Amino acid sequence: MNSRAATVAGYLIGFALLFAIWHLASVFIVRSVLFPSPFPVFERGWVLIADGLLQESVWASMRRIIQGFLLGSAIGIPIGLAIGSFRPVRLLLEPWTEFFRFIPAVAMITVAVIWFGIGEESKIFLIAYTTVFVVVIATAAGVGAVGKDKIRAAQCLGANKFQVFALVALPATVPYILTGMRLAMANAFVTIVAAELVASNDGLGKMLWDARLFMQVEDIFVALISLGLLGFATDRVFRLLIRAFAGRFNPTM
Amino acid sequence: MGFVELDGVGMTFRGRTGAYEAVRDFNLELAEGEFFCLLGTSGCGKTTVMNMLAGFDRPTSGEIRLEGRPVRGPGADRGVVFQGHDSLYDWLTARDNIAFGLRLRSMGRGERRAIADRFLNMVGLTGQGAKHPSELSGGMKQRIQIARALANDPRMLLMDEPFGALDAMTRAVLQGELSRIWSENRKTVLFITHDIEEACALATRVGVMKRGPGGTLKAVVPIDLPFPRERTSDAFMACFRQVHALIHEEIHPHE
Repeated sequence: MNSRAATVAGYLIGFALLFAIWHLASVFIVRSVLFPSPFPVFERGWVLIADGLLQESVWASMRRIIQGFLLGSAIGIPIGLAIGSFRPVRLLLEPWTEFFRFIPAVAMITVAVIWFGIGEESKIFLIAYTTVFVVVIATAAGVGAVGKDKIRAAQCLGANKFQVFALVALPATVPYILTGMRLAMANAFVTIVAAELVASNDGLGKMLWDARLFMQVEDIFVALISLGLLGFATDRVFRLLIRAFAGRFNPTM
Repeated sequence: MGFVELDGVGMTFRGRTGAYEAVRDFNLELAEGEFFCLLGTSGCGKTTVMNMLAGFDRPTSGEIRLEGRPVRGPGADRGVVFQGHDSLYDWLTARDNIAFGLRLRSMGRGERRAIADRFLNMVGLTGQGAKHPSELSGGMKQRIQIARALANDPRMLLMDEPFGALDAMTRAVLQGELSRIWSENRKTVLFITHDIEEACALATRVGVMKRGPGGTLKAVVPIDLPFPRERTSDAFMACFRQVHALIHEEIHPHE
């Protein structure tokens, strides 16, 4: 068996084990309607998929995550590059990043709702907010970590300042940027659920909240499993991306 | 007028703990086409001398000139081979690393490739051009560095202990290759090392430095032996002993 098949098999067995333990715990230990076995949850999930309701919620949440995430990255990468490259910019903007990164996006939900209402804008703002600072910090750290000899070598080959930046500093920073984006993606999942719990018309967070209101315990678990699987899948995609782009950038990643 | 002139060059680093005079009143002239080895114990300031000639550090006193023009910063006229292979670009293939300087001058892809392949052959890496640095051994990476510096056709080559991190066997092989390449193109080389045998094997002249702080040139020994050098010959041994005696006084100054 090759290592890829072994990994897939390992994951499948791992997940199966998780559900097995869950089933045993619900049937033999907890024995409460508040903690259903995975089977009714899967049944309920199937119904929700057949009705198209689950896809709707998943797509509503994912769309917000992707939009906010791309917006946040698009803002964060250039700022991170500027902070890492120019000392005055660093001195000017570091207080900002050091200040805002301690104000969690979850705490900004109220402000976001006041400013943008409970529609898409407030969600995208929050995801972008939570993404920006992680990406800025990772990118700036990446620029700072570019080996001195890499830059000197380029200078000795005749590179001007712009060429040093575009052909050396930028590509050398790509693995750091991707790693920052991966961390930001995990934050985005936390943020979107919190935001949709508080104020939203659709999405997985809203689904969780409604299910609680109407005591649809299975629905809660369907939403939780969906979040777990979505996060897992997104992270896998990112790891593949990092390996594809960064594998040859940095063999240690 | 020498090809390279270091004229009363001094370098004092100022830090929080005070000033450190790494190099004091360093004078040297290099002729075009010579292979000069700068030999010294660790901390003698030999790398500082190279960094100033490369333009990475500005001397705090004196002046450095290449073909009469003062050195003011790094430039394509002085190719540098670094001690570590961190200076290679991990995201580029061996061939693209070698062609990096040519790309900076917006040379066309085909021409770049032809030149890079010629230098890949020169350093004995024919057919390895598509590999990335992470797929190459330490010795191969240093070959790429040498090819990269030479492909850019600099006026001179600066080498800072380029074989220092390699095992003894690989080092000897690469010394032989470097000697062969130099014999063919006769680029002016300033080669920094703390290895006496390496200096005697490669150099047309060996400059021995005094201990730091305030390192400066102590003596210059011409090595008038034909290339390739026979390391077990009596003449080579005599050179080795002569240089060894000079450096020995710096390692054990109180004997």
